[in-house]
Amino acid sequence: MKKKLLSLLLAAVMTVGMTACGGVKGRSTSSSSGSASGSKKTAAATTENHDTDVLNLNIASEPQSVDPALSISIDGGILIVNSFAGLYTYDQKQKLVPDIADGMPQVSSDKTEYTIKLKKTKWSNGEALTAKDFLYSWNRVIEKKTASGYAYLFDIIARKDGKLDVSAPDDYTLKIKLTNPCPYFNDLLAFPTFFPVYQKEVEKSVTKKVPAGTWSQEAGFVSNGAYILKSWKHNESMVYEKNPNFHDASKVKIKSLHFMLSAQDTTTYAAYNKGDLDFIDTVPNDEIKTVKNSKEFHIMDNLGTYYLAFNVNADLFKNMTEQQAKDFRHAIALLIDRQYIIDTVGQTEQVAADSYIPAGMSDGNGGEFKNKSYYDAKKTGQDSVEEAKKLLEGCGYKFSKQSDGTYKCSPDISFQYILNDDSGHKKIAQAVQQDLQALGINMQIQTEDWKVLIADRQNGNFTFAREGWLADYNDPINMLEMFQTKSGNNDPQFGKDMSKHKSAPQNWKDYDKLIDKIRTSTDFSSRVDLMHQAEDMLMDTWAVIPIYYYNDIYMQKQNVKGVFGTVYGFKYFMYATKS
Amino acid sequence: MAKYIVKRLIMAVVAFIAVSAITFFVMNLIPGGPFTSEKAMTKEVIATLTKRYGLDKPIGVQYLNYMGNFLRGDWGVSLKTQREIWPDLQSRFGVSARLGLSALAIATVFGVIFGSISALTRNKWPDRLLVVLTTLGTAIPSFVLATLLMLLFCMQLNLLPIWDVHHPNYILPIISLAVYPMAYITRLTKTSMLDALNQDYITTAKAKGVPESKIIFVHALRNALIPVVTYLGPEVAYIITGSMVVESIFTIPGMGTMFVQSINDRDYPYIMAVTIFLAMLMIIANLITDIVYKIIDPRITFD
Repeated sequence: MKKKLLSLLLAAVMTVGMTACGGVKGRSTSSSSGSASGSKKTAAATTENHDTDVLNLNIASEPQSVDPALSISIDGGILIVNSFAGLYTYDQKQKLVPDIADGMPQVSSDKTEYTIKLKKTKWSNGEALTAKDFLYSWNRVIEKKTASGYAYLFDIIARKDGKLDVSAPDDYTLKIKLTNPCPYFNDLLAFPTFFPVYQKEVEKSVTKKVPAGTWSQEAGFVSNGAYILKSWKHNESMVYEKNPNFHDASKVKIKSLHFMLSAQDTTTYAAYNKGDLDFIDTVPNDEIKTVKNSKEFHIMDNLGTYYLAFNVNADLFKNMTEQQAKDFRHAIALLIDRQYIIDTVGQTEQVAADSYIPAGMSDGNGGEFKNKSYYDAKKTGQDSVEEAKKLLEGCGYKFSKQSDGTYKCSPDISFQYILNDDSGHKKIAQAVQQDLQALGINMQIQTEDWKVLIADRQNGNFTFAREGWLADYNDPINMLEMFQTKSGNNDPQFGKDMSKHKSAPQNWKDYDKLIDKIRTSTDFSSRVDLMHQAEDMLMDTWAVIPIYYYNDIYMQKQNVKGVFGTVYGFKYFMYATKS
Repeated sequence: MAKYIVKRLIMAVVAFIAVSAITFFVMNLIPGGPFTSEKAMTKEVIATLTKRYGLDKPIGVQYLNYMGNFLRGDWGVSLKTQREIWPDLQSRFGVSARLGLSALAIATVFGVIFGSISALTRNKWPDRLLVVLTTLGTAIPSFVLATLLMLLFCMQLNLLPIWDVHHPNYILPIISLAVYPMAYITRLTKTSMLDALNQDYITTAKAKGVPESKIIFVHALRNALIPVVTYLGPEVAYIITGSMVVESIFTIPGMGTMFVQSINDRDYPYIMAVTIFLAMLMIIANLITDIVYKIIDPRITFD
């Protein structure tokens, strides 16, 4: 094992510094069962640490921010959900439950007015936390000077005199007015951006350079969650200690959370094996096969999809009709062997994707959204070569069979695929490249720096690209609205310069209108139909090629119990115990 | 000497301006910006941040503004974390410098001792053993060495933790950083010591009956140290600015990782701050080396 670890460490450190966000390993794989339940667990237990008061954890490296208004990353979100308490939270079964709210909201008959009663809780400094703290915190998020990346989540709340239409009739009652009914609003109330912050401290720390305040940049700030940040050695460690003023403090058994701030998964994996860490939120991709059957290895569902995207305005489609361009992309989608990618690269029981909206996502009307497959994901790859060939022949290409059973294509089909520098993504790219060679299609793989990749995708400087999306809340609109023409995440460039690009889908104004209609829909049942229409329109373009649904892996010592997480990737440590 | 120092200082200012300007304009040419993120921020948020940090102004104006602030002692705030850069830089430099200087001190002391032993036992077993070890020391990359040390001392012998929140493991990173310069100094010392021992003044000293220890440590070693000092100058600046690889492996909050991370994040003020800081260190280290060189060997002139 040590020999293997050595080779793993060596291989990994050679690529140090080139790791990218949204890798295949770790959190960004797809959805499956509760915790590798299908496989037989043969535990070769690693060394345990028996300090029952402390949990030693690794989530990621230095968080970008632990201010609920400013955090835009999952690792920052994990630190926030363990140190701040919002109105609602999730329990071990991922059910939405009241946190500092006293019961579920009372909703008006037109579903636009929410009344929420608050428990009598305190800040970590002993002061009372009231409804006014929410008024302040939420309005702070939407203030221009705060420049919160998640301010748009508050768009659903109506405005009054430039502020949110939220009032506090008394210290422990909140009244919220929505612009229109929102089936996922309760979920939003459990999202870190909706958590309260301590006004006096925030305002005291405002500077000209940092108008949002520097209050959370060092340890010692006031919070209201299970833990308070006691020590922060930047880029090295964070120490959280139990907050005696947390409203549910009696149930918090672990006194301290020690976070190792490192994104070097080989080092954190070694530290975990040695017993220096009790929990790691990622496992080196090359080690998954080894640990997969361990009782310490866990797989959780995520709401998200790993997919590939074509730029509908790319030169590749220049001389094609709209239908030919669709057929071309359809052919590519058929040639990709998803199960092979899952078995050899993902390796964590992901589910091959046959739709863009992942399995398990709510429809906002009490049911699961996914009710159909857009193709048979198990038959893609070698089984679909002939079908793909026919589609491409319709685009004007001719194929001649070679002695090795593959085809030669005339004229040549050649295009570039861009991705970030990550070994897992590269392996997927190579698998796709090999699949396309069945019809003589030449796909060149181009790795790019992470920020260059994002810029190229968002600006449409690409033909074919790696993509992935993890939902922020449990509603399909979160994954459908990003393809509106004006969206910053409309990487396939739908609706842009349609008159110039005749091969691009010409009906995208209808899609934009459809999304607007979904946003303002008051009937949740017809809203579901509208969202299905939107997904149909999206999948009909074949510009978005789903590969698998994401899931999330982590390792946890067997003497640690009670850690749980959500489909959004957040982990909750406050009710954990250690023996 | 004073004239020389003034001349070097003027050159240092020119180098400083060149480094800062080239870095500023080149980093702005790299695609992707500080606010580019996978989940794109809204146009309003990006506009607010761009305006706040003056990134909406023409690039030349941005440079002049940056340098104006810098000369007033304002290193700016990180575009990623919004933390003041100067305290962060100080803290990171402190860590890297502590590790680097410890490593270099070990490397110098042992390098000079081993080099002298090697020269004085030429072609005998101590020399041969040291040749093998120094060849290994210069050939093994620091990330391989760091990994081997971690495996041996942390995993195999269980003597040190890989990570401990209260007691960071600085021993192994120091060794990882020290091995290469130690091997290099050993070889330098040996070569120059052998050269010095063959000089006429050593023969004369021997003929005059000067004790051998005095010949070796006072006459030969002093001259043998000149190339070592030449090597140490830039090496000090290099080693105290941190090693990205070693810092990453051992979770050390030093300069090396920050430099790479700031480039990945397109954190412009941070890239500028680290580059300027490193440039100043290099310039000062080279200046001091030249002066020390002159003190050790009075024959050297600055003409």
